[in-house]
Amino acid sequence: MVMYKALLYTQWKWARLIILLGTLAGFSLPLLSLQGAARADRGALQAQDLLRAVQSWGTLYPLLAAALGLLVAIATWTADHRGRHVHALTLPLPRWRYVLLRFAAGMTLLAVPIAAVSVGALLAAFTATIPSGLQAYPLALSLRFALAVLVAYAVFFAISAGTARTAGIILGVIAALVVVQVVASIANLQLDLVGTSQVVLLQGLGPLAVFTGRWMLVDV
Amino acid sequence: MFRRFGLLLILGVLACPLLGQDTLINRLRIRSDSLLRTWQQAVAIANLADSLERERATIGRDTIAVGALRIITNASPLPVRQAAALAWPAIDSLYGSAAADLAERPYFIRAVDPDSNARRAVLHVGLEVPWDLDLRSTTTLLLTTVPIAPPDRALATWLTGVLRPSIHPREDVGGVYLEFVTAPSQAARGCFMGDIASCIDALGLGDTNHQLERWYPSAPERRAVVTGSFADFFDHGGSAPALRECVAGRDASCTALLRSLPADVLPKPLSDAARVSLVRDALRLGGQDAYRRLLRDPEAAIADRLAEAAGVSVDSLVAGWRNAALAARPAPVELPWWAIGVALGWVTVFAGCGLSSSRWRL
Repeated sequence: MVMYKALLYTQWKWARLIILLGTLAGFSLPLLSLQGAARADRGALQAQDLLRAVQSWGTLYPLLAAALGLLVAIATWTADHRGRHVHALTLPLPRWRYVLLRFAAGMTLLAVPIAAVSVGALLAAFTATIPSGLQAYPLALSLRFALAVLVAYAVFFAISAGTARTAGIILGVIAALVVVQVVASIANLQLDLVGTSQVVLLQGLGPLAVFTGRWMLVDV
Repeated sequence: MFRRFGLLLILGVLACPLLGQDTLINRLRIRSDSLLRTWQQAVAIANLADSLERERATIGRDTIAVGALRIITNASPLPVRQAAALAWPAIDSLYGSAAADLAERPYFIRAVDPDSNARRAVLHVGLEVPWDLDLRSTTTLLLTTVPIAPPDRALATWLTGVLRPSIHPREDVGGVYLEFVTAPSQAARGCFMGDIASCIDALGLGDTNHQLERWYPSAPERRAVVTGSFADFFDHGGSAPALRECVAGRDASCTALLRSLPADVLPKPLSDAARVSLVRDALRLGGQDAYRRLLRDPEAAIADRLAEAAGVSVDSLVAGWRNAALAARPAPVELPWWAIGVALGWVTVFAGCGLSSSRWRL
């Protein structure tokens, strides 16, 4: 526990700007998305306007989630990479436990912007005038955001923890996919690797499926 | 004697233009008669060509009969019979006794090899379908191309097309709910709130006078229609200044622009899909002969025809249709439990990747 607190403190020092900006953005997004759209003087247009505004702002939630996951994961490992992991090696604990504590500390820090999105969404839902026929979904949106942040953080944490060789292998696989796709297109073969990869990554059981779908604070 | 002659002369001079007029009318009549004869001959030739083409399309083909459906097709792996067996109940339940007429109006389906580029004789009737189509797609094809006789002009205009069986009934009615909530029209909104008169207005079943004011009663709605649907159309020539005034908030300009459109061009508050779903409800309520009753009197108002088909008043029909649409509200935005499990599973997997990175192996 002491070790965890120490790591949490150091990570907070490295990532506090990211966390504070992310918290501010996460709190503001739901409030801004409902700002002014549901005015009584809009009559029959207010539902359509509100949905349009919510949909436009909704594209920013997955972007914010991905940015938070990426930046916190990078901040988690920057100091260790810079010190060539000498400090970590001097600590009296196994390597797996050190990595686990780093991961847990990062997740703890990310709880702050996730909570900010939840509070902002609840506040926006309770204070806005929502036209009949539409409903607010603050909890569903917060849950989706939380999962997206955690997935993004886990992905970038794994990539950052890897060696340059691992990163090279990942990039090599992606490049190979692109090359095969180009060759297949030239040879007029019915091979859609890009489309298939997209389906595997973004749909159903894919790792990034949580980023797709409707990020709507208000919907029918 | 001279006076009589003078009188006749004057009458003759006066009658000349009348005679000339008579000649002109005769000439036009002869021309229109000639045009009618030519048109009749063209129709006869087109019918003959159509008949010959149908004869040609049936040569060497089999006829598959399921219910009153007749499908003339060539031998192939295409699951036509099974698809017809699935499609027939939906067709029968929509058209009722009128579906029997389909025995006289067969489908012509030519199943072709999807992998062959060999040249084929061109047929101008029926459908050319790749024979690797699955059962679901073949059934959908049969449902969307039912060769039922087209409805009369008034009904076709109101429906904007031909009535076909629904492929996704639940989704179709759910779409009407979305229109209720999001349509930029007070009429549609009033319908959603329970005002049946507004529903009748929004469906174009009531009084069609002052339709613009009935559908879009407020200035912001009219401005939204102009800027949303006709901004490009009006942004040319003489209407461009009025469009700019409309965009700036001058309601008189918006109204004038919308009034300049033909009546059937004004965007409907509720779409054609909503109208089709209402007709389907009427036919369902009316039973076996409902479709025949719907087509019986092409001169009657659409509301009366629907009431006649359904066997209930138009108010009851519309109220029932509205209740069905409200009951078909689409599923709310929710993250299914399995998706939460999947996301947490991936977090664990990637965390495991981080823990087992080659960097930590000594």
